[in-house]
Amino acid sequence: MNAALGRAGIVLAFVSSLGGIATVVVALSTGRRALLRQAASFVALVAGGAVVAFAAMERGLVTRDFSMEYVASHGSTRTPALYNVATLWSALEGSILLWGLILAGYLVAVTFKFRRRLTDPLVGWALLTMFAVCTFFFGLMLGPANPFRTLATAPLDGPGPNPLLQNNVLMAFHPPMLYLGYVGFTVPFAFAVAALATGRVGEGWLVETRRWTLFAWAFLSVGIVLGAWWSYEVLGWGGYWAWDPVENASFLPWLTGTAFLHSVMVQERRGMLRVWNLSLVCATFSLTILGTFLTRSGVLDSVHAFSDSTVGPLLLGFFALVVLVAVGLIGWRGDRLRSPGRIDSPVSREGAFLANNVAFAAFAFVVLLGTVFPLIVESVNGERLSVGVPYFNRMTMPLGLLLLFLMAVAPALPWRKASAETLATRLQWPAWAGTGAVVLAVALGARGLAPLLAFGLGGFGAGAAVRQVALATRRQGWRGLVGRTNGGMIVHLGVVLIAVAFAASSSYTTQREVRLEPGESARVGGHSVTYLGITERAEANRTDRIARVRVDGGQVYAPRLQRFPNGTQEIGRPSVRTSPVDDVYLALLEAPAAAGGAVRLRVIVQPLVMWLWVGGGVIALGSALAAFPGRRRRGTEPASAPVAEPARDRPDPVEDRQPVGVA
Amino acid sequence: MASPPVAARRAPGKGPRLGPWMSSWLVMAVVLVVALALGSRTVGGGSDQDRVRAVASTIKCPQCAGQSAASSDAPTAEAIRRDIADRLAKGQSPDRIRDFYASRYGEGILLNPARSGPAGLVWVLPVVAAVLAFAGLGFAFRRWQQAAPAELSAEDRRLVAAARRARLSVGEPDGEPVDPHGEGDGR
Amino acid sequence: MRPVKGRGHLAAFVAAPVAVVLALLILVLATRSPASDRVTQSPIVGQATPAVELRTLDGKPFSLDRYEGRWVLVNFFATWCTPCRQEHPELRRFAADHERTGDAAVVSVVFEDDPATVRRFFAENGGSWPVLDDADGKAVLAFGVVKVPESYLIDPDGVVQAKITGGVTAAGVESVMAELGAGGTRRGGG
Repeated sequence: MNAALGRAGIVLAFVSSLGGIATVVVALSTGRRALLRQAASFVALVAGGAVVAFAAMERGLVTRDFSMEYVASHGSTRTPALYNVATLWSALEGSILLWGLILAGYLVAVTFKFRRRLTDPLVGWALLTMFAVCTFFFGLMLGPANPFRTLATAPLDGPGPNPLLQNNVLMAFHPPMLYLGYVGFTVPFAFAVAALATGRVGEGWLVETRRWTLFAWAFLSVGIVLGAWWSYEVLGWGGYWAWDPVENASFLPWLTGTAFLHSVMVQERRGMLRVWNLSLVCATFSLTILGTFLTRSGVLDSVHAFSDSTVGPLLLGFFALVVLVAVGLIGWRGDRLRSPGRIDSPVSREGAFLANNVAFAAFAFVVLLGTVFPLIVESVNGERLSVGVPYFNRMTMPLGLLLLFLMAVAPALPWRKASAETLATRLQWPAWAGTGAVVLAVALGARGLAPLLAFGLGGFGAGAAVRQVALATRRQGWRGLVGRTNGGMIVHLGVVLIAVAFAASSSYTTQREVRLEPGESARVGGHSVTYLGITERAEANRTDRIARVRVDGGQVYAPRLQRFPNGTQEIGRPSVRTSPVDDVYLALLEAPAAAGGAVRLRVIVQPLVMWLWVGGGVIALGSALAAFPGRRRRGTEPASAPVAEPARDRPDPVEDRQPVGVA
Repeated sequence: MASPPVAARRAPGKGPRLGPWMSSWLVMAVVLVVALALGSRTVGGGSDQDRVRAVASTIKCPQCAGQSAASSDAPTAEAIRRDIADRLAKGQSPDRIRDFYASRYGEGILLNPARSGPAGLVWVLPVVAAVLAFAGLGFAFRRWQQAAPAELSAEDRRLVAAARRARLSVGEPDGEPVDPHGEGDGR
Repeated sequence: MRPVKGRGHLAAFVAAPVAVVLALLILVLATRSPASDRVTQSPIVGQATPAVELRTLDGKPFSLDRYEGRWVLVNFFATWCTPCRQEHPELRRFAADHERTGDAAVVSVVFEDDPATVRRFFAENGGSWPVLDDADGKAVLAFGVVKVPESYLIDPDGVVQAKITGGVTAAGVESVMAELGAGGTRRGGG
């Protein structure tokens, strides 16, 4: 019943996507614009189908309908309710279903937002692109990634999801957030295609796109941070980022998306970089598809990869199609849209944005190259080699530092041209903040050039951001906190927190493996760890062996080994004492069979880890503030108007220009 | 599209005025250099476990998907850590230890690809790309600087001012952009 | 890319090489087999048997040199590994076949397992060849064992001739030996 219903939903969504494509194509090619309004009904049908399919799957999981193959192989009667719901995205087919639902949601949102402009060919082309993407994903669910396969004989119980996916609550939030980000980049891509196809490549498409991109970007950022947090809380090695192919797959679109969010401002202000911006949007969407392929085809070794590989060729084919369309359109139209603008001085806001874009592009190149390089080498000479954490850390570190520097300097730079005097005055306090951070770090015993530079530039960047927000709030009251520029400064603060926490925690880790008898203590990184004893506890879906460990004579923590019925080996579940200064991370490696024996514990002391998660929250907050409409200014001073504007020579442009023309 | 002549906005030839900020920056530079010099002095290497971990983190755990021997709990990874500890205690250098593993498991066991041969490309390409990109950027800036913008004639300014007056008097809706590049977006 | 004064064909000129690079990337990705199916080539194939100190379960020193002049199949295994248990009868068949002719032998090396459990396993499942302990994992690392079960076929001159990943079959090992007997070194395989 559930399977049939879900299948019907998928078929409905697929057929409606095709119907939408046909309608838009007929309308655009015959010029019968009124027909474009009909697209809205297909959008409703696609969404209806997706919701029905999603609901059918959740219903199957919740009611434990083991006649569905997906439920039988990933669900179980013992899985607690929350993880039961989250089982939908714990395996390949379900994750595609979630993707489809979110895609349909974005389709509805776009149609609703532009409901009064449905007859506009620009919107028509955008809808066409989105229908095409929907057709692909729902087609995938009709074919190799069918979530609604049934079993002739239903088993009484299933194994449950992968044990690692059912012991931390973050698993319920990380994938949906990540997918809201990934899938959200479909919207700017659709408008980019529309702009290229219609040839209407003024700043109009951009204005439509910017806020959607920001929305997707914010979810992707939060999704990535939640994923890192999940790794930290669950995987037991004390890290949160391992430059794993799957992590890189989510990071790549983030890098190009971030580049776009910055360079888009140059286009708005100066009418430049149009082709570059279109390329960034297309690259971002292509990279989400490439990431999906890398994650789901099994070509790369990864802790997080899905195992199935039958959807691989189709995803790769779709990636090829997206690349073909994007590169083809840009190559065909690109030269017509290039604007003959010029940038007066490298020491200007737009100059900093250009440098920022080059740095982000280089960053993305390093990550992409490192990820696929083993495959390239293997295909050339058959050798197998690995590109791992040390490579990524070394290659991305200078780029990260450069980006931190630009982040500090750019907000203080005026558009067009800056004088040394302006810079020296505006950057003075932020630079003192950076110097103060270095001095403080050295005084606290931090050593090593790279982390110190990171702290210094972090303080510099934070100082610059705080200065902007302070000036803006002094001038505009609470409105100085909202709007793109001010919200962006809050985002910068979040990024600085993450950068500083990353530098500190990866440079000053103390890790020990200790063997402790009951009652015995060990000192690691200035903390005392006392092993008290072991207890065994049976939970609904597993059996836990829990070591009781007292940290610093205070609270007792409980790192454990968990045995799930579907797992052959015990899985460690670390326990972390978190504090603003440092984390004490306890992972149980070996527990005695009898109550009196010794345990082997991995104890990791890392400074400032907590601020990574706080930084993620600050990024989310800043993005929300940035999306909130800021101070409106009448569009009387077009960005690229060829008049010297006295207003632009203000001593301190706390820019809060709304994109002119937001409807 | 022409840009306003920057020089027109400021009296030409007037250099940056030295202000009180100058001394502040000098003090800051001194403080920063001293702090960085103090802070980047290397202190003696950590404990044995730290050294083992440093070597192990450059070696892939053969049994696992993409984890290093330092971070995995797989039996082979634990054996590798024990073996590295032994070898370090015997005085072997980290490079020699890595060579040993490469001789038994192949180059794929090393997480840092070799600097030479085809694998070296992974190190060289990003550097080349970044240098080219920044050089291209510098080149573009040079060209932009050389291409002096056309001076606006009085006639140009009059036309622009008239156009803007006309727009304002019509009472354009909030923030409608002037589209100076001729591609209206049809609204 | 970045706009430059004048409208040339920059976008087209940039798009073309980008398209070529991406096409090559797609080609590379399309021709890769799944990571799990790839067999790592073992660098020790063709090399002399790694020198490792081994001990029997009883703690007596054991050297692989004693098999000089005979083929020997060094089998890494653990009782907790299902394919290892499944290949056990095949090892027994191979050992029995060659016990009479005396031209080949089997040696098992225990990987991360408890000696008592291993003894019990052999008592229950048969097999009388030497079982060696590798408590510190030295042999595992010296041979470059990735994951049990894994077997290494060493020729009468003490050169490692083949690495077999996964469970072996007696017939499979025979055919590898026959192939090698005809000359030539076989790499990888399984």
